[in-house]
Amino acid sequence: MSCDRIDDATVLEVLRQVIDPELGCNVVDLGLIYSIAISGRKIDVVMTLTTPGCPMHEALCQGVRNALLGLDNVDEAEVQLVWEPAWDPSMMSAAGRTATGVEI
Amino acid sequence: MEALSFKSDAAKPIAGKSAATVSPKEVRPPSVILPLQFIITGLLALFAAVGCLLARPDLLATYHYNQHVIAVTHLVVLGWICSVIMGAVYQLVPVALETKLHSERLANWQFAFHVVGFAGMVWAFSIWDLKQVGHFGSVLAIGVGLFVYNIGRTLLRVPKWNVSATAVAAALGWISLSILTGLFISAGKCTYDSATVLPPTTPVGALVHGLRSIASFVGRFDAISAMHAHAHLGSVGFFLMLIVGVSYKLVSMFTLSEVQNPRRAIWSIALLNIGLAGVFITILVGSPWKFAFALVIIAALVTYGWELAAILRARNRRKLDWSIKYFLTAIALLVVFSAAALILSWPGLPLTTLTGQLENVYGFLGLLGVVTFAILGMLNKIIPFLVWFRSYGREIGRKQVPAMTDLYSTRLQAAGYWSFLAGFIVVGVAILFSNETGVRTGCALLAAGLVFFTMNVASILTHLTRPQLKPLASIQPEKRTL
Repeated sequence: MSCDRIDDATVLEVLRQVIDPELGCNVVDLGLIYSIAISGRKIDVVMTLTTPGCPMHEALCQGVRNALLGLDNVDEAEVQLVWEPAWDPSMMSAAGRTATGVEI
Repeated sequence: MEALSFKSDAAKPIAGKSAATVSPKEVRPPSVILPLQFIITGLLALFAAVGCLLARPDLLATYHYNQHVIAVTHLVVLGWICSVIMGAVYQLVPVALETKLHSERLANWQFAFHVVGFAGMVWAFSIWDLKQVGHFGSVLAIGVGLFVYNIGRTLLRVPKWNVSATAVAAALGWISLSILTGLFISAGKCTYDSATVLPPTTPVGALVHGLRSIASFVGRFDAISAMHAHAHLGSVGFFLMLIVGVSYKLVSMFTLSEVQNPRRAIWSIALLNIGLAGVFITILVGSPWKFAFALVIIAALVTYGWELAAILRARNRRKLDWSIKYFLTAIALLVVFSAAALILSWPGLPLTTLTGQLENVYGFLGLLGVVTFAILGMLNKIIPFLVWFRSYGREIGRKQVPAMTDLYSTRLQAAGYWSFLAGFIVVGVAILFSNETGVRTGCALLAAGLVFFTMNVASILTHLTRPQLKPLASIQPEKRTL
Protein backbone atom coordinates (compact mmCIF):
# COMPACT_ATOMS: atom_id res chain seq x y z
CA MET A 1 0.00 0.00 0.00
CA SER A 2 1.28 3.49 -0.73
CA CYS A 3 0.19 7.05 0.06
CA ASP A 4 1.33 10.55 -0.82
CA ARG A 5 2.73 12.11 2.32
CA ILE A 6 2.95 15.86 2.51
CA ASP A 7 5.89 17.09 4.50
CA ASP A 8 7.40 20.47 5.28
CA ALA A 9 10.02 20.13 2.57
CA THR A 10 7.33 19.64 -0.07
CA VAL A 11 5.36 22.63 1.20
CA LEU A 12 8.47 24.80 1.19
CA GLU A 13 9.33 23.69 -2.30
CA VAL A 14 5.85 24.64 -3.49
CA LEU A 15 5.98 28.00 -1.74
CA ARG A 16 9.31 28.73 -3.43
CA GLN A 17 7.24 29.16 -6.58
CA VAL A 18 5.39 32.10 -5.05
CA ILE A 19 7.39 35.23 -5.71
CA ASP A 20 7.13 38.73 -4.35
CA PRO A 21 7.04 40.52 -7.72
CA GLU A 22 8.51 43.76 -6.39
CA LEU A 23 11.56 42.08 -4.89
CA GLY A 24 11.79 39.32 -7.48
CA CYS A 25 12.31 36.63 -4.85
CA ASN A 26 10.17 33.83 -3.48
CA VAL A 27 8.38 34.11 -0.15
CA VAL A 28 10.41 31.33 1.46
CA ASP A 29 13.83 32.81 0.74
CA LEU A 30 12.52 36.23 1.72
CA GLY A 31 11.79 34.76 5.15
CA LEU A 32 8.11 35.61 4.99
CA ILE A 33 6.91 32.15 6.02
CA TYR A 34 6.88 31.91 9.80
CA SER A 35 5.35 28.51 10.33
CA ILE A 36 3.71 25.57 8.61
CA ALA A 37 1.33 23.14 10.27
CA ILE A 38 0.16 20.07 8.41
CA SER A 39 -2.89 18.27 9.70
CA GLY A 40 -4.13 15.50 7.44
CA ARG A 41 -5.33 17.20 4.27
CA LYS A 42 -5.16 20.67 5.74
CA ILE A 43 -2.20 23.06 5.81
CA ASP A 44 -1.98 26.17 7.95
CA VAL A 45 0.67 28.74 7.11
CA VAL A 46 1.58 31.73 9.24
CA MET A 47 3.34 34.39 7.22
CA THR A 48 4.23 38.05 7.16
CA LEU A 49 5.12 40.68 4.58
CA THR A 50 8.12 42.95 4.32
CA THR A 51 6.06 45.97 5.39
CA PRO A 52 2.54 46.44 6.75
CA GLY A 53 1.65 48.75 3.84
CA CYS A 54 2.80 46.22 1.25
CA PRO A 55 0.68 46.72 -1.88
CA MET A 56 1.03 43.03 -2.68
CA HIS A 57 -0.77 42.13 0.52
CA GLU A 58 -3.79 40.43 -1.00
CA ALA A 59 -2.05 38.85 -3.99
CA LEU A 60 0.72 37.25 -1.94
CA CYS A 61 -1.61 35.74 0.66
CA GLN A 62 -3.86 34.39 -2.06
CA GLY A 63 -0.84 33.17 -4.00
CA VAL A 64 0.41 31.14 -1.05
CA ARG A 65 -3.05 29.66 -0.64
CA ASN A 66 -3.29 28.86 -4.36
CA ALA A 67 0.08 27.13 -4.29
CA LEU A 68 -0.88 25.00 -1.29
CA LEU A 69 -4.21 24.01 -2.83
CA GLY A 70 -2.33 22.94 -5.95
CA LEU A 71 -0.79 20.07 -4.01
CA ASP A 72 -2.41 16.65 -4.30
CA ASN A 73 -4.04 15.53 -1.08
CA VAL A 74 -4.57 19.08 0.16
CA ASP A 75 -8.20 20.10 0.51
CA GLU A 76 -7.86 23.07 2.79
CA ALA A 77 -5.25 25.78 3.19
CA GLU A 78 -5.33 28.60 5.71
CA VAL A 79 -3.00 31.57 5.51
CA GLN A 80 -2.67 33.73 8.57
CA LEU A 81 -0.93 37.06 8.08
CA VAL A 82 0.87 38.40 11.13
CA TRP A 83 2.90 41.54 11.81
CA GLU A 84 4.59 40.31 14.94
CA PRO A 85 7.39 39.53 14.99
CA ALA A 86 8.03 42.20 12.37
CA TRP A 87 9.95 41.05 9.31
CA ASP A 88 13.53 42.15 8.96
CA PRO A 89 16.17 41.28 6.37
CA SER A 90 18.01 38.96 8.77
CA MET A 91 15.15 36.54 8.18
CA MET A 92 16.12 36.13 4.52
CA SER A 93 18.09 33.16 3.33
CA ALA A 94 21.45 33.62 1.64
CA ALA A 95 19.75 32.89 -1.68
CA GLY A 96 17.14 35.56 -0.93
CA ARG A 97 19.76 38.14 -0.10
CA THR A 98 21.62 37.40 -3.31
CA ALA A 99 18.45 37.59 -5.40
CA THR A 100 17.38 40.93 -3.95
CA GLY A 101 20.77 42.55 -3.48
CA VAL A 102 20.10 42.97 0.21
CA GLU A 103 23.06 43.41 2.52
CA ILE A 104 22.78 43.08 6.26
CA MET B 1 -0.47 16.94 13.23
CA GLU B 2 2.97 18.31 12.59
CA ALA B 3 4.01 21.88 12.80
CA LEU B 4 7.11 23.74 11.72
CA SER B 5 8.09 27.23 12.76
CA PHE B 6 11.03 28.86 11.09
CA LYS B 7 12.38 31.79 9.25
CA SER B 8 14.27 30.40 6.33
CA ASP B 9 17.91 29.60 7.09
CA ALA B 10 17.93 32.23 9.83
CA ALA B 11 15.27 30.16 11.51
CA LYS B 12 13.82 31.42 14.75
CA PRO B 13 10.70 29.90 16.28
CA ILE B 14 7.86 32.29 16.98
CA ALA B 15 6.10 30.20 19.61
CA GLY B 16 4.74 32.35 22.38
CA LYS B 17 4.65 35.49 20.25
CA SER B 18 1.33 37.23 19.96
CA ALA B 19 0.07 37.11 16.42
CA ALA B 20 -1.26 40.44 15.18
CA THR B 21 -3.32 39.27 12.27
CA VAL B 22 -5.05 41.13 9.54
CA SER B 23 -7.44 39.98 6.90
CA PRO B 24 -6.45 40.81 3.33
CA LYS B 25 -9.99 42.07 2.79
CA GLU B 26 -9.34 44.94 5.24
CA VAL B 27 -6.57 46.35 3.07
CA ARG B 28 -7.57 46.48 -0.55
CA PRO B 29 -6.42 48.78 -3.32
CA PRO B 30 -9.10 50.01 -5.72
CA SER B 31 -9.46 48.64 -9.25
CA VAL B 32 -6.32 49.27 -11.30
CA ILE B 33 -8.36 50.97 -14.02
CA LEU B 34 -9.14 53.88 -11.68
CA PRO B 35 -5.55 55.07 -11.13
CA LEU B 36 -4.52 54.09 -14.68
CA GLN B 37 -7.12 56.39 -16.26
CA PHE B 38 -5.80 59.31 -14.20
CA ILE B 39 -2.19 58.43 -15.05
CA ILE B 40 -2.76 58.06 -18.80
CA THR B 41 -4.70 61.36 -18.83
CA GLY B 42 -1.77 62.95 -17.04
CA LEU B 43 0.78 61.65 -19.54
CA LEU B 44 -1.31 62.91 -22.46
CA ALA B 45 -1.51 66.34 -20.80
CA LEU B 46 2.26 66.41 -20.29
CA PHE B 47 2.84 65.58 -23.95
CA ALA B 48 0.42 68.35 -24.92
CA ALA B 49 2.19 70.83 -22.62
CA VAL B 50 5.67 69.99 -23.94
CA GLY B 51 4.24 70.18 -27.49
CA CYS B 52 2.89 73.69 -26.75
CA LEU B 53 6.30 74.78 -25.46
CA LEU B 54 8.02 73.32 -28.52
CA ALA B 55 5.66 75.32 -30.73
CA ARG B 56 5.82 78.49 -28.61
CA PRO B 57 9.19 78.66 -26.80
CA ASP B 58 8.61 82.37 -26.26
CA LEU B 59 6.13 81.43 -23.52
CA LEU B 60 9.01 80.52 -21.24
CA ALA B 61 11.54 82.94 -22.70
CA THR B 62 9.43 85.95 -21.75
CA TYR B 63 7.67 87.12 -18.59
CA HIS B 64 4.99 84.73 -17.43
CA TYR B 65 1.88 86.80 -16.84
CA ASN B 66 0.01 86.22 -20.08
CA GLN B 67 -2.94 84.06 -21.08
CA HIS B 68 -1.00 81.35 -22.92
CA VAL B 69 1.53 80.84 -20.15
CA ILE B 70 -1.31 80.58 -17.65
CA ALA B 71 -3.10 78.08 -19.94
CA VAL B 72 0.01 75.89 -20.30
CA THR B 73 0.73 76.18 -16.58
CA HIS B 74 -2.76 74.88 -15.79
CA LEU B 75 -2.30 72.13 -18.37
CA VAL B 76 0.82 71.04 -16.48
CA VAL B 77 -0.52 71.62 -12.98
CA LEU B 78 -4.04 70.25 -13.39
CA GLY B 79 -3.71 68.03 -16.47
CA TRP B 80 -0.37 66.40 -15.71
CA ILE B 81 0.45 66.74 -12.03
CA CYS B 82 -2.99 66.72 -10.40
CA SER B 83 -4.23 63.89 -12.62
CA VAL B 84 -1.31 61.64 -11.78
CA ILE B 85 -1.14 62.57 -8.11
CA MET B 86 -4.87 62.09 -7.58
CA GLY B 87 -4.81 58.72 -9.36
CA ALA B 88 -1.80 57.68 -7.31
CA VAL B 89 -3.41 58.85 -4.07
CA TYR B 90 -6.46 56.66 -4.77
CA GLN B 91 -4.09 53.72 -5.24
CA LEU B 92 -1.42 54.39 -2.64
CA VAL B 93 -3.26 55.84 0.32
CA PRO B 94 -5.34 52.73 1.01
CA VAL B 95 -2.36 50.36 0.80
CA ALA B 96 0.24 52.60 2.42
CA LEU B 97 -2.07 53.50 5.29
CA GLU B 98 -3.49 49.98 5.62
CA THR B 99 -7.11 50.70 4.89
CA LYS B 100 -9.42 50.74 1.87
CA LEU B 101 -10.77 53.52 -0.30
CA HIS B 102 -14.07 54.95 0.93
CA SER B 103 -15.74 54.94 -2.50
CA GLU B 104 -14.45 53.94 -5.90
CA ARG B 105 -17.64 55.24 -7.51
CA LEU B 106 -17.00 58.76 -6.19
CA ALA B 107 -13.45 58.53 -7.51
CA ASN B 108 -14.76 57.70 -10.99
CA TRP B 109 -17.14 60.65 -10.83
CA GLN B 110 -14.25 62.85 -9.80
CA PHE B 111 -12.32 61.72 -12.84
CA ALA B 112 -15.13 62.92 -15.12
CA PHE B 113 -15.38 66.31 -13.35
CA HIS B 114 -11.59 66.63 -13.33
CA VAL B 115 -11.11 66.01 -17.05
CA VAL B 116 -13.96 68.28 -18.12
CA GLY B 117 -12.88 70.92 -15.61
CA PHE B 118 -9.19 71.12 -16.42
CA ALA B 119 -9.61 70.78 -20.20
CA GLY B 120 -12.22 73.55 -20.17
CA MET B 121 -10.07 75.76 -17.97
CA VAL B 122 -7.04 75.40 -20.23
CA TRP B 123 -9.17 76.29 -23.26
CA ALA B 124 -10.79 79.24 -21.44
CA PHE B 125 -7.43 80.57 -20.26
CA SER B 126 -6.02 80.30 -23.78
CA ILE B 127 -8.81 82.56 -25.12
CA TRP B 128 -8.77 84.61 -21.88
CA ASP B 129 -12.44 84.12 -21.10
CA LEU B 130 -12.40 84.41 -17.32
CA LYS B 131 -16.11 83.71 -16.99
CA GLN B 132 -15.61 80.33 -18.65
CA VAL B 133 -12.57 79.79 -16.45
CA GLY B 134 -14.89 80.27 -13.49
CA HIS B 135 -17.47 77.88 -14.93
CA PHE B 136 -15.00 75.11 -15.75
CA GLY B 137 -13.13 75.87 -12.53
CA SER B 138 -16.37 75.20 -10.66
CA VAL B 139 -16.67 71.84 -12.43
CA LEU B 140 -13.09 71.05 -11.42
CA ALA B 141 -13.86 72.23 -7.87
CA ILE B 142 -16.77 69.78 -7.62
CA GLY B 143 -14.31 67.03 -8.56
CA VAL B 144 -11.78 68.23 -6.00
CA GLY B 145 -14.56 68.32 -3.40
CA LEU B 146 -15.34 64.67 -4.16
CA PHE B 147 -11.63 63.83 -3.96
CA VAL B 148 -11.21 65.58 -0.60
CA TYR B 149 -14.35 63.95 0.81
CA ASN B 150 -13.37 60.49 -0.46
CA ILE B 151 -9.80 60.57 0.79
CA GLY B 152 -10.90 62.31 4.00
CA ARG B 153 -13.34 59.48 4.74
CA THR B 154 -10.61 56.99 3.85
CA LEU B 155 -8.27 58.66 6.34
CA LEU B 156 -10.90 58.29 9.07
CA ARG B 157 -10.49 54.52 8.72
CA VAL B 158 -6.72 54.51 9.09
CA PRO B 159 -5.93 52.10 11.92
CA LYS B 160 -2.54 53.54 12.82
CA TRP B 161 -2.18 57.28 12.28
CA ASN B 162 1.32 58.20 11.15
CA VAL B 163 3.35 60.95 9.51
CA SER B 164 2.16 60.02 5.99
CA ALA B 165 -1.49 60.22 7.08
CA THR B 166 -0.81 63.65 8.62
CA ALA B 167 0.72 64.88 5.37
CA VAL B 168 -2.17 63.55 3.28
CA ALA B 169 -4.68 65.24 5.60
CA ALA B 170 -2.78 68.55 5.38
CA ALA B 171 -2.56 68.25 1.58
CA LEU B 172 -6.35 67.88 1.39
CA GLY B 173 -6.74 71.14 3.28
CA TRP B 174 -4.27 73.01 1.07
CA ILE B 175 -5.74 71.76 -2.23
CA SER B 176 -9.17 72.89 -1.06
CA LEU B 177 -7.82 76.34 -0.22
CA SER B 178 -5.89 76.51 -3.49
CA ILE B 179 -8.99 75.74 -5.55
CA LEU B 180 -11.01 78.25 -3.55
CA THR B 181 -8.46 81.03 -4.06
CA GLY B 182 -8.27 80.16 -7.77
CA LEU B 183 -12.05 80.53 -8.09
CA PHE B 184 -11.92 83.79 -6.14
CA ILE B 185 -9.22 85.15 -8.45
CA SER B 186 -11.23 84.29 -11.56
CA ALA B 187 -14.36 85.79 -9.93
CA GLY B 188 -12.33 88.94 -9.27
CA LYS B 189 -11.55 89.33 -12.95
CA CYS B 190 -15.17 89.18 -14.12
CA THR B 191 -17.76 91.94 -14.36
CA TYR B 192 -21.25 91.63 -12.92
CA ASP B 193 -23.46 93.93 -14.97
CA SER B 194 -26.49 91.71 -14.36
CA ALA B 195 -26.29 92.51 -10.62
CA THR B 196 -28.09 95.79 -11.36
CA VAL B 197 -31.15 93.97 -12.72
CA LEU B 198 -31.13 90.77 -10.63
CA PRO B 199 -32.41 91.23 -7.07
CA PRO B 200 -30.29 89.42 -4.44
CA THR B 201 -33.42 87.68 -3.14
CA THR B 202 -33.54 85.32 -6.17
CA PRO B 203 -31.14 82.33 -6.27
CA VAL B 204 -29.32 83.57 -9.40
CA GLY B 205 -29.29 87.09 -8.08
CA ALA B 206 -27.85 85.95 -4.77
CA LEU B 207 -25.09 84.12 -6.65
CA VAL B 208 -24.28 87.14 -8.83
CA HIS B 209 -24.27 89.54 -5.87
CA GLY B 210 -22.15 87.09 -3.88
CA LEU B 211 -19.63 86.83 -6.72
CA ARG B 212 -19.55 90.61 -7.02
CA SER B 213 -18.75 90.88 -3.30
CA ILE B 214 -15.97 88.32 -3.73
CA ALA B 215 -14.65 90.26 -6.73
CA SER B 216 -14.66 93.44 -4.67
CA PHE B 217 -12.74 91.67 -1.87
CA VAL B 218 -10.20 90.12 -4.27
CA GLY B 219 -9.72 93.53 -5.91
CA ARG B 220 -7.97 94.70 -2.73
CA PHE B 221 -4.99 92.51 -3.54
CA ASP B 222 -2.40 92.85 -6.26
CA ALA B 223 -3.38 90.47 -9.11
CA ILE B 224 0.08 88.92 -9.56
CA SER B 225 0.56 88.52 -5.80
CA ALA B 226 -2.81 86.75 -5.55
CA MET B 227 -1.85 84.47 -8.44
CA HIS B 228 1.51 83.63 -6.82
CA ALA B 229 -0.15 82.97 -3.44
CA HIS B 230 -2.66 80.64 -5.14
CA ALA B 231 0.16 78.85 -6.99
CA HIS B 232 2.09 78.24 -3.76
CA LEU B 233 -0.94 76.76 -2.03
CA GLY B 234 -1.26 74.16 -4.76
CA SER B 235 2.39 73.44 -5.49
CA VAL B 236 3.78 73.47 -1.96
CA GLY B 237 0.62 72.58 -0.03
CA PHE B 238 -0.60 69.77 -2.24
CA PHE B 239 2.26 68.55 -4.43
CA LEU B 240 5.26 69.01 -2.14
CA MET B 241 3.33 68.02 0.99
CA LEU B 242 2.35 64.71 -0.62
CA ILE B 243 5.82 64.10 -2.02
CA VAL B 244 7.36 64.61 1.42
CA GLY B 245 4.71 62.75 3.41
CA VAL B 246 4.16 59.78 1.13
CA SER B 247 7.87 59.29 0.39
CA TYR B 248 8.50 58.48 4.05
CA LYS B 249 6.47 55.34 3.42
CA LEU B 250 7.36 54.61 -0.20
CA VAL B 251 11.13 55.18 -0.10
CA SER B 252 11.28 53.02 3.02
CA MET B 253 9.26 50.31 1.31
CA PHE B 254 11.23 50.31 -1.95
CA THR B 255 14.66 50.31 -0.29
CA LEU B 256 13.75 47.96 2.58
CA SER B 257 14.33 50.55 5.24
CA GLU B 258 12.16 52.44 7.72
CA VAL B 259 11.67 55.90 9.14
CA GLN B 260 14.58 56.43 11.50
CA ASN B 261 13.23 59.27 13.59
CA PRO B 262 9.42 59.68 13.52
CA ARG B 263 9.65 62.92 15.53
CA ARG B 264 11.97 64.44 12.91
CA ALA B 265 9.56 63.34 10.16
CA ILE B 266 6.60 64.96 11.94
CA TRP B 267 8.62 68.17 12.40
CA SER B 268 9.24 68.35 8.67
CA ILE B 269 5.48 68.22 8.00
CA ALA B 270 4.68 70.69 10.79
CA LEU B 271 7.25 73.21 9.56
CA LEU B 272 6.04 72.83 5.99
CA ASN B 273 2.51 73.68 7.13
CA ILE B 274 3.58 76.64 9.27
CA GLY B 275 5.85 77.99 6.55
CA LEU B 276 3.22 77.67 3.84
CA ALA B 277 0.53 79.40 5.91
CA GLY B 278 2.95 82.30 6.43
CA VAL B 279 4.13 82.36 2.82
CA PHE B 280 0.56 82.42 1.52
CA ILE B 281 -0.45 85.42 3.63
CA THR B 282 2.80 87.36 3.19
CA ILE B 283 2.82 86.86 -0.61
CA LEU B 284 -0.83 87.89 -0.80
CA VAL B 285 -0.35 91.12 1.12
CA GLY B 286 3.15 91.80 -0.24
CA SER B 287 4.81 91.64 3.17
CA PRO B 288 8.62 91.48 3.51
CA TRP B 289 8.04 88.73 6.10
CA LYS B 290 7.68 86.25 3.22
CA PHE B 291 11.45 85.77 3.38
CA ALA B 292 11.18 84.58 7.00
CA PHE B 293 8.43 82.11 6.14
CA ALA B 294 10.37 80.92 3.10
CA LEU B 295 13.13 80.10 5.58
CA VAL B 296 10.64 78.08 7.64
CA ILE B 297 9.74 76.03 4.53
CA ILE B 298 13.43 75.53 3.81
CA ALA B 299 13.92 74.39 7.42
CA ALA B 300 11.13 71.85 6.77
CA LEU B 301 12.90 70.62 3.62
CA VAL B 302 16.26 70.39 5.40
CA THR B 303 14.61 68.32 8.14
CA TYR B 304 13.02 66.17 5.47
CA GLY B 305 16.33 65.73 3.65
CA TRP B 306 18.00 64.80 6.94
CA GLU B 307 15.41 62.09 7.63
CA LEU B 308 15.46 60.86 4.03
CA ALA B 309 19.24 60.52 4.18
CA ALA B 310 18.90 58.55 7.42
CA ILE B 311 16.31 56.24 5.80
CA LEU B 312 18.61 55.67 2.82
CA ARG B 313 21.67 55.06 5.01
CA ALA B 314 19.72 52.39 6.89
CA ARG B 315 18.42 50.71 3.75
CA ASN B 316 18.96 47.01 3.26
CA ARG B 317 18.62 47.09 -0.49
CA ARG B 318 21.88 48.74 -1.42
CA LYS B 319 21.34 49.12 -5.15
CA LEU B 320 19.11 52.07 -6.02
CA ASP B 321 16.86 51.42 -8.99
CA TRP B 322 15.90 54.04 -11.58
CA SER B 323 12.69 55.00 -9.89
CA ILE B 324 14.60 55.95 -6.74
CA LYS B 325 17.22 57.75 -8.87
CA TYR B 326 14.46 59.83 -10.49
CA PHE B 327 13.07 60.58 -7.07
CA LEU B 328 16.43 61.54 -5.57
CA THR B 329 17.02 63.85 -8.54
CA ALA B 330 13.79 65.60 -7.58
CA ILE B 331 15.08 65.98 -4.03
CA ALA B 332 18.42 67.35 -5.30
CA LEU B 333 16.49 69.88 -7.41
CA LEU B 334 14.75 70.99 -4.22
CA VAL B 335 18.08 72.52 -3.18
CA VAL B 336 18.18 74.70 -6.32
CA PHE B 337 14.46 75.42 -5.94
CA SER B 338 15.00 76.57 -2.34
CA ALA B 339 17.86 78.85 -3.40
CA ALA B 340 15.66 80.44 -6.08
CA ALA B 341 12.85 80.83 -3.52
CA LEU B 342 15.18 82.66 -1.14
CA ILE B 343 16.36 85.05 -3.85
CA LEU B 344 12.81 85.78 -5.04
CA SER B 345 11.47 86.33 -1.53
CA TRP B 346 14.26 88.75 -0.65
CA PRO B 347 12.56 91.94 0.67
CA GLY B 348 12.58 94.76 -1.83
CA LEU B 349 13.84 92.69 -4.75
CA PRO B 350 13.21 94.85 -7.83
CA LEU B 351 11.21 93.38 -10.72
CA THR B 352 13.69 93.46 -13.59
CA THR B 353 13.83 91.36 -16.75
CA LEU B 354 16.25 89.02 -14.99
CA THR B 355 14.12 88.61 -11.85
CA GLY B 356 11.08 88.10 -14.08
CA GLN B 357 12.91 85.28 -15.87
CA LEU B 358 14.09 83.92 -12.52
CA GLU B 359 10.41 83.65 -11.56
CA ASN B 360 9.87 81.61 -14.74
CA VAL B 361 12.83 79.40 -13.83
CA TYR B 362 11.42 79.01 -10.30
CA GLY B 363 8.06 77.83 -11.61
CA PHE B 364 9.65 75.57 -14.23
CA LEU B 365 12.06 74.15 -11.64
CA GLY B 366 9.26 73.42 -9.21
CA LEU B 367 6.72 71.93 -11.62
CA LEU B 368 8.74 70.22 -14.37
CA GLY B 369 11.77 69.64 -12.13
CA VAL B 370 11.00 68.73 -8.54
CA VAL B 371 7.43 67.53 -8.93
CA THR B 372 7.78 65.90 -12.36
CA PHE B 373 10.96 63.97 -11.49
CA ALA B 374 9.32 62.77 -8.28
CA ILE B 375 6.20 61.70 -10.17
CA LEU B 376 8.12 59.98 -12.98
CA GLY B 377 10.15 58.11 -10.35
CA MET B 378 7.03 56.92 -8.58
CA LEU B 379 5.30 56.07 -11.88
CA ASN B 380 8.22 53.79 -12.70
CA LYS B 381 6.99 51.76 -9.72
CA ILE B 382 3.25 52.38 -9.81
CA ILE B 383 2.50 51.54 -13.46
CA PRO B 384 4.27 48.15 -13.45
CA PHE B 385 2.58 47.39 -10.15
CA LEU B 386 -0.89 48.24 -11.45
CA VAL B 387 -0.44 46.19 -14.60
CA TRP B 388 1.18 43.31 -12.75
CA PHE B 389 -1.62 43.31 -10.21
CA ARG B 390 -4.27 43.27 -12.93
CA SER B 391 -2.65 40.62 -15.13
CA TYR B 392 -0.93 38.36 -12.63
CA GLY B 393 -2.37 39.07 -9.17
CA ARG B 394 -4.86 36.21 -9.43
CA GLU B 395 -2.40 33.81 -11.05
CA ILE B 396 0.28 33.93 -8.39
CA GLY B 397 0.69 30.47 -6.87
CA ARG B 398 -1.19 28.92 -9.80
CA LYS B 399 1.17 29.74 -12.64
CA GLN B 400 4.69 31.03 -13.02
CA VAL B 401 4.36 34.81 -13.16
CA PRO B 402 7.01 37.36 -14.14
CA ALA B 403 8.60 39.67 -11.58
CA MET B 404 7.78 43.36 -11.88
CA THR B 405 11.22 44.10 -13.30
CA ASP B 406 10.43 41.75 -16.20
CA LEU B 407 7.67 44.11 -17.34
CA TYR B 408 9.88 47.02 -18.34
CA SER B 409 13.27 47.94 -19.74
CA THR B 410 15.81 49.55 -17.42
CA ARG B 411 17.65 50.83 -20.53
CA LEU B 412 14.57 52.82 -21.53
CA GLN B 413 14.30 54.09 -17.96
CA ALA B 414 17.92 55.25 -18.11
CA ALA B 415 17.50 56.81 -21.57
CA GLY B 416 14.36 58.61 -20.40
CA TYR B 417 16.12 59.87 -17.30
CA TRP B 418 19.15 61.31 -19.08
CA SER B 419 17.11 62.87 -21.91
CA PHE B 420 14.68 64.45 -19.51
CA LEU B 421 17.45 65.71 -17.22
CA ALA B 422 19.42 67.17 -20.15
CA GLY B 423 16.28 68.83 -21.52
CA PHE B 424 15.41 70.18 -18.11
CA ILE B 425 18.84 71.78 -17.64
CA VAL B 426 18.88 73.25 -21.16
CA VAL B 427 15.38 74.75 -20.78
CA GLY B 428 16.20 76.10 -17.31
CA VAL B 429 19.32 77.92 -18.50
CA ALA B 430 17.58 79.12 -21.68
CA ILE B 431 14.68 80.59 -19.67
CA LEU B 432 17.09 82.55 -17.49
CA PHE B 433 18.72 84.10 -20.55
CA SER B 434 15.43 84.51 -22.50
CA ASN B 435 16.76 82.30 -25.28
CA GLU B 436 13.96 80.85 -27.42
CA THR B 437 16.22 78.50 -29.39
CA GLY B 438 17.53 77.06 -26.13
CA VAL B 439 14.00 76.59 -24.80
CA ARG B 440 12.97 74.80 -28.00
CA THR B 441 16.08 72.57 -28.01
CA GLY B 442 15.54 71.71 -24.35
CA CYS B 443 11.86 70.96 -24.94
CA ALA B 444 12.84 68.59 -27.77
CA LEU B 445 15.03 66.73 -25.29
CA LEU B 446 12.20 66.72 -22.74
CA ALA B 447 9.91 65.29 -25.42
CA ALA B 448 12.52 62.60 -26.23
CA GLY B 449 12.67 61.70 -22.54
CA LEU B 450 8.90 61.40 -22.47
CA VAL B 451 8.92 59.23 -25.58
CA PHE B 452 11.35 56.81 -23.88
CA PHE B 453 9.19 56.83 -20.78
CA THR B 454 6.04 56.21 -22.83
CA MET B 455 7.68 53.39 -24.79
CA ASN B 456 8.28 51.69 -21.47
CA VAL B 457 4.71 52.34 -20.37
CA ALA B 458 3.41 50.89 -23.67
CA SER B 459 5.58 47.81 -23.19
CA ILE B 460 4.21 47.40 -19.66
CA LEU B 461 0.63 47.82 -20.84
CA THR B 462 1.01 44.96 -23.36
CA HIS B 463 0.93 42.63 -20.36
CA LEU B 464 -2.73 43.62 -19.89
CA THR B 465 -3.67 42.01 -23.19
CA ARG B 466 -0.88 39.45 -23.53
CA PRO B 467 0.08 38.16 -20.10
CA GLN B 468 3.22 36.02 -20.01
CA LEU B 469 2.29 33.03 -17.91
CA LYS B 470 4.08 29.71 -17.67
CA PRO B 471 3.00 26.56 -15.88
CA LEU B 472 4.46 25.96 -12.43
CA ALA B 473 6.90 23.14 -11.92
CA SER B 474 5.00 20.08 -10.76
CA ILE B 475 5.80 19.47 -7.12
CA GLN B 476 3.84 16.76 -5.40
CA PRO B 477 4.24 14.77 -2.19
CA GLU B 478 6.63 11.85 -2.41
CA LYS B 479 5.09 8.39 -2.61
CA ARG B 480 5.76 6.34 0.46
CA THR B 481 5.09 2.65 0.95
CA LEU B 482 3.35 1.85 4.18
